[in-house]
Amino acid sequence: MRHPDEGVLRRLLDEPAGVADADRRHVADCQVCLTGLAAAHADAAAAGTALRAVPAGDVDLAAAWRRLSATLPAADRERAPAAARRRGARLRRPAIATLAFLVVLTGAGVAAANDWLPIFRTERIAPVSVTTSDLVALPDLTGYGDVELTGAGEPQQVADAAAAREATGLDVPQVGPLPRGVSGDPTYQVVGELSGVFTFSADKAAQAAAAAGEALPPVPAGLDGSQVRLVAGPGLAAVWSQEGGMPTLVVGRAVAPRAFSSGVPFETLRDYLLALPGLPPNVADQLRSFTGDGTTLPLPVPADQVRTSSADVGGRPATVLEARDRSFAGVVWVDDGVVTAVAGALGADEVLSVARELR
Amino acid sequence: MTSPPSRPGVRPDLAEVFRRNYPRVVGVAARVLGSPDSAEDVAQEVFLAFGRSSVPTGEAGGWLSVAAAHTALNLLRDGRRRAVREENAATGTDAVAGDVADDVVVREERTRVRAALARLPRRQAVVLVLRHSGLSYAEVATALDMSPGSIGTTVRRAEAALRKELNGHASSG
Repeated sequence: MRHPDEGVLRRLLDEPAGVADADRRHVADCQVCLTGLAAAHADAAAAGTALRAVPAGDVDLAAAWRRLSATLPAADRERAPAAARRRGARLRRPAIATLAFLVVLTGAGVAAANDWLPIFRTERIAPVSVTTSDLVALPDLTGYGDVELTGAGEPQQVADAAAAREATGLDVPQVGPLPRGVSGDPTYQVVGELSGVFTFSADKAAQAAAAAGEALPPVPAGLDGSQVRLVAGPGLAAVWSQEGGMPTLVVGRAVAPRAFSSGVPFETLRDYLLALPGLPPNVADQLRSFTGDGTTLPLPVPADQVRTSSADVGGRPATVLEARDRSFAGVVWVDDGVVTAVAGALGADEVLSVARELR
Repeated sequence: MTSPPSRPGVRPDLAEVFRRNYPRVVGVAARVLGSPDSAEDVAQEVFLAFGRSSVPTGEAGGWLSVAAAHTALNLLRDGRRRAVREENAATGTDAVAGDVADDVVVREERTRVRAALARLPRRQAVVLVLRHSGLSYAEVATALDMSPGSIGTTVRRAEAALRKELNGHASSG
């Protein structure tokens, strides 16, 4: 019989009843497994000590409830301005958490590790910029060749919807009823077309593979030195914010990314890159989205933090993204080569409702 | 504890969910942050978020624990300076009478653990904290939408990684 895996050994320490009888019997008679079990026990004990509860005294449940009650949404903001103000103050910290999530979701969090394209190279990028930039993001391929970028730059604020339309050539989505907690007029941001020419380098790819501890798979004939041009954008975003400046709702639209190649078909290069060891998962996800025909979504989604599901918006298949902690949700779909996204510190049902009411 | 006044936008089950889960939510955050005061701040945030969510009542316990772990880990990651400040303040207020040198050792140990925890992959850190907060393997799996069979492996690897981080830090410092 093969040895039970390390997870089974670990569970044996906590929940022996949850381990199959055959595995328990095997471990009891197997010196290899007993050694593994002892190691698991030592690590578990060390972790238990490190994470032991801080001496906190008893939690004062009644006091904690009073504190929470004071910050719950007021029944009527008009009649209870003081309560509304308190709520605004309390919301600031969750909003900052949402900002951090947005940064992770849309690439800046990946920037540190993967050296994303310059558009993401701001350490503490504004949330609006992140969202708008994300609409015209390109996968970072600098580890596998040379990348030459043109266009885009930082998102710019414009005066109104008409100016956003003029700057991008895109229709500005008209929002119907606003969800609870979102009010006022939006500000508008635009970002230009981002274009990058990527020249594949077998040498660089070999270095990246070596860094991952593996050899480079055989390079198909004609691939070394071949070029592709990736294009994303332009894009625009309407952003509703609360008083502190944190966005509560963002409605964005952009021309979907496209890829053009000379010589070797783009798909050949893409599939080869996807097969390379060490390709960061987020880059791989984004690269997969470049089908070359502008029909799929440019979404670098960290699966451990975001749950995705499918929905329908105006007859188009849409992707719903929801933070696993439900602090954030978004919905994205493509229609005729144009990506539209609705996102915010809202529930999935709320962003879907906004999306379906767009005109 | 009195029930909340009936208000639009406030879940009717909030008081009951709060009563059942608040201590455990504080416990999850305290294991991450090492400070009871900061942990209560996190718990308040988490219940506020729950209050405006549509999470089914039956899933509230797991949801709250996961949210507390993430929120507390975010604090470690994004606000380490603030977290340390709060930790120091908390240590000052809840330290029992004793040897000052002991307090310093305890504080340093807590700081080391927080730093090690912040360096773990997020999923490992969350699973580790939930398990050590008393959630069963089945509860952790349900709360994180993971397969039950993978929890033991994740806990095992997280504990090994945490110990390695702590030992590495100790030997390098």
